[in-house]
Amino acid sequence: MPTKILSVDDSKTIRMIVKRTFAPYDAIVSEAANGEEGLAKAAEKPDLIVLDITMPVMDGVTMLTKLKEDPELKNIPVIMLTAESGRENVAFIAKLGVRDYLVKPFKDEQLIEKVARVVPLQKKVA
Amino acid sequence: MPPIAPNEDFAKRYGIEAVPESVRRLGELVSRPDATVEEITKLICQDKELSDRLLRAANPKAESEADYDFTTVEEALNRTGVGSALLLAMHDPLLRAVHRTFLTMLGVGLKPLMTPVLPIEGEHVLCEIVFTGRATGAAALRLTPQTALRIAAQVLGVSPADLGDTAAIDDVIGELSNIVVGNFKSNLCDAGLKCKLSPPAITRTSNFKLRSNANNQAQRIAFHAPDLDLFVDLNVNPWND
Repeated sequence: MPTKILSVDDSKTIRMIVKRTFAPYDAIVSEAANGEEGLAKAAEKPDLIVLDITMPVMDGVTMLTKLKEDPELKNIPVIMLTAESGRENVAFIAKLGVRDYLVKPFKDEQLIEKVARVVPLQKKVA
Repeated sequence: MPPIAPNEDFAKRYGIEAVPESVRRLGELVSRPDATVEEITKLICQDKELSDRLLRAANPKAESEADYDFTTVEEALNRTGVGSALLLAMHDPLLRAVHRTFLTMLGVGLKPLMTPVLPIEGEHVLCEIVFTGRATGAAALRLTPQTALRIAAQVLGVSPADLGDTAAIDDVIGELSNIVVGNFKSNLCDAGLKCKLSPPAITRTSNFKLRSNANNQAQRIAFHAPDLDLFVDLNVNPWND
């Protein structure tokens, strides 16, 4: 079974990088451009959500809060991927319940390493 | 050893780089509207690099220290304004954010140019992000359309010829700017100047002026790598007035 990853970021560039990063792996990456779209796609029960903070329509903190309030979705692990690294904000978000936190700019390998700690990640067989 | 504050604990857990102590202390001090020149002078004098940069900023026409009209930190602060101390303090974190972003995302080692450079002539791609809160201001990244195209192609892993529309280029430049300014904003927040960012606004323009007024300290930094020139313009008002 491929690992299902949901990338929620208003930047198409970041969604494309996330998709490209996991292309060599047995993983399916779906995309959402804001928290509202992200919540709708989370209903499809991905194995992991990679979530940005600053987004239009609904930001990542609001999406995370709503996700954790939903008994059906609250156990989906979330890794934050954001340029926000202010101490207070990081602590606030961490307390909402995230599995890990990666500050942009990031290298593909850093994202793979963090994701592989949370969900199984197998290289595609040629 | 003092116990680790909970906020630091989370930052350490996720491997997030701490804001330099000198920046944090100076930011906290400058963010206080009642901070005196004496207090700020004392703090700057403890950091030789900051002192040297302030003196250079206060004597822009001097070719060497022998030509300085303002020779002490106190004189320099009175000349440039107390708010300039915040820009000085934030100078290094901004340089680091630009360097780290372009090195990590593009493998390009941008170097800041310490000598004055001519601004980009003709049309350029301008990405401006405004921050509001305890500190207000804006950061703008500018580069030529050709450079923007090359950067976008590299980040997306495609040939420049395959990037027909400007939307994909703008998205890449907007995201790189967002990362640089987001890192910078986090340093402002850690120094006690909580603020929020606007989404990046991208335009193609031939006209750009560095914003500045009495309390709004402005700075232009030019960065260079082979085939890549970038200007970062920054203005900050630490007292939100």
